Amino acid sequence: MSTKTFKGGAHPPERKERSASSPIEVLRRVTQVVIPVNQHFGAPIQPLVKAGDQVKRGQKIADAEGRMTVPLHASVAGTVKKIEPRMTANNLEGLAIVIEPAEEDDAVFMPALDPFSCSKEEALARVREAGIIGVGGAGFPAHVKFAPPPNKPIEYVVANAAECEPYLTIDERVMEEAPEEFIDGLAIVMHIVGASKGVVGLEDNKAKLGPVLLKAIAAKGNGLDIAVQLLKTKYPQGGEKMLITAITGREVPSGGLPMDVGCVVSNVGTLRAVSEAFRKGKPVIDTGLTVTGGACETPKNLIVPVGMLVADLFPDAARYDEKRLRRVVLGGPMMGPAVPSLQVPIQKNTSGVLLMDEAEAKVFAEGPCIRCGRCMRACSCRLSPALLNAAIKAGDLDEAEKIGALDCIECGTCSFVCPSHIQLVQRFRVGKQLVRAKKQKEAQRAGK
Amino acid sequence: MPANNLLLSSSPHVFTGVTTRKIMLAVIIALSPTAAYGVVLFGLPALALIAVSVASAVLSEAAFRRITKQDSRVGDLSAVVTGLLVALIMPPSLPLWMAALGSFAAVVFAKEFFGGLGANPFNPALIGRAILLMSFPAAMTTWHAPFKGIADATAGATPLNIVKLGGSVADVGAGFVRDGLAAAPDYGATLWTLFVGNRAGCIGESSILLILVGFAFLLALGVVSFITPLAMVGTAFLASWALGLDPVVGALSGGLLFGAAFMATDYSSSPVTPLGKAIFGAGAGLVTVIIRRFGGYPEGVTYGILMMNAVAPFLDKLRVKKYGFVPPAKPVAKEAAK
Repeated sequence: MSTKTFKGGAHPPERKERSASSPIEVLRRVTQVVIPVNQHFGAPIQPLVKAGDQVKRGQKIADAEGRMTVPLHASVAGTVKKIEPRMTANNLEGLAIVIEPAEEDDAVFMPALDPFSCSKEEALARVREAGIIGVGGAGFPAHVKFAPPPNKPIEYVVANAAECEPYLTIDERVMEEAPEEFIDGLAIVMHIVGASKGVVGLEDNKAKLGPVLLKAIAAKGNGLDIAVQLLKTKYPQGGEKMLITAITGREVPSGGLPMDVGCVVSNVGTLRAVSEAFRKGKPVIDTGLTVTGGACETPKNLIVPVGMLVADLFPDAARYDEKRLRRVVLGGPMMGPAVPSLQVPIQKNTSGVLLMDEAEAKVFAEGPCIRCGRCMRACSCRLSPALLNAAIKAGDLDEAEKIGALDCIECGTCSFVCPSHIQLVQRFRVGKQLVRAKKQKEAQRAGK
Repeated sequence: MPANNLLLSSSPHVFTGVTTRKIMLAVIIALSPTAAYGVVLFGLPALALIAVSVASAVLSEAAFRRITKQDSRVGDLSAVVTGLLVALIMPPSLPLWMAALGSFAAVVFAKEFFGGLGANPFNPALIGRAILLMSFPAAMTTWHAPFKGIADATAGATPLNIVKLGGSVADVGAGFVRDGLAAAPDYGATLWTLFVGNRAGCIGESSILLILVGFAFLLALGVVSFITPLAMVGTAFLASWALGLDPVVGALSGGLLFGAAFMATDYSSSPVTPLGKAIFGAGAGLVTVIIRRFGGYPEGVTYGILMMNAVAPFLDKLRVKKYGFVPPAKPVAKEAAK
């Protein structure tokens, strides 16, 4: 099997070996959950419950009208204690529903639904009602992604199994332990969007999963054309755009979406959730993640209720060395945010908890840009980060837009390779906002 | 709860470990063979000149940044690189105070006045050389044949000097035989002598072999790109041939290889884009040969690179097409759509 890839990128140390062989443990009992209401990308939703209400596991507790919304479900059965703003994973305060679990774990799921015999509308409604969002990135509502307009026919559904972030191994474990659910999810999505081809994009450091997946495809592929494509182990191979280019040779047009090149990309966790939503009627109430890092004494893969506080993982589910702990990152080390305390809730799209020690948590002072060009060679979007940084620094937003500020996927490769430790990605996040604001102003002026 | 000693920082949280200091150290290592050979060729005065030049560069930078109340950057080793480069493009008999002045000019005028490391529009070492060449033309063009010491030996001529004065390649070869640097005056022996670097010239520019070794080291570490040097030497080769100069001798003599490998690849004064690098190199090679053929100086590498330095910011506009680039709609089409 040939190995495909994209141009650019870098090779951060993988550090996956510590947790890669540890089977997933499912955690059900927690002392409380703090469920952030708005975990998806789109329009905000409102709580449907109030303090004092009894809820069952799987019960809908927040929702709203509108296309870009997904409902939220209780991840444990119990009593709603409070609904108040809490610090969330992205270091912002957001409304959260606090539930204290009851002794009995009453669950209320939807009835099972056969994805291959129900109508497309029924299927999309089920995806929405299950609260499924893209767990690989920003949390884009899955039912919107799976319903492209009729003028955008979908040819490929790509299962993003690259897991290119260092440390993280949860997708790898899910594919090894539940390959049939994963492939079933892929087949369901292919059916919903009417795609003729399904491709599992797998980094070649996980090549041993190939036979496992092929067996699952034979069993659960529903006779659809599904292939496993090995990809070079290189960051950010799991970036949506890089994955599409590696597999199809197509480039998502600037400002466009994967559907513009006939693709839908979904993460391993998302596809598993799709399968569970149809076969078990189960909404997204728990999430898989890897707990690891230099200060973690028990690197492992877990499935925990959505809303569980990171702090509550310890010391029962995992342990860490308090003396050596220097930084906590939610997600992978390339894109995950560092959090100020362990009192933050795990969300639907939290893929890891990294407990980094002194050696891993080095912080460097920024030096001047020496124009060495390393970022230019590494940028997965061919964006000339050094020049983009200079343009933003000089306040030249027209130039920043031309270079491609809005095309930056914030993968962090440029900052990773910078010998002067310039916080390029952070600058680009700010620069993006400035460019968007400028464009808005221009649009307003043009409107008048 | 370790809440108060948790580090907060923006992603990514891992780094390559390659630092500016390590890059500069790699450049110093790459320059070491040719610097050492300069000392072999011209003796202790060359070593003293290198030491003074480096010391002057480091002290000038430290003093300037102190006086202007900026953080010291001695640790990044970039001043060492500048001082070393200045020394390697000086004639070995240059008075030490002039070398110190050259380094001072390179660091303060060409680099720090523009904002220091990474901000200099022109190559600092070449600015230092250009200033010295204009200020002390005699001292800057006094050459010595190698292995004879420079204290009391008579002044010699560089191969390019001989060519400039109307001499042929055979005259260059005859000179090598006279100085005991080649066994025979034939073409092959002349080229070999030039390649090994046993000739009159600047301290560090003569040994093509060791320059290539140093350059290969930088290339292998990914410190420099091959585009600029290849474009520069390639263009110089073709232009020499077109203008009736011996292209092989032209490539092996003077400062062309040294300039292409270590000066035209200076990060901050050359373009960062691949196409920009190619045009930059080609331009520098062309100007070098035009000066060699038609100019008043026998050698043109310094001005060839400095002239292209001025164009570098514009060449940076020649960016690679970004991922998913969509050509902007033509205004005509827009009008039609309305």
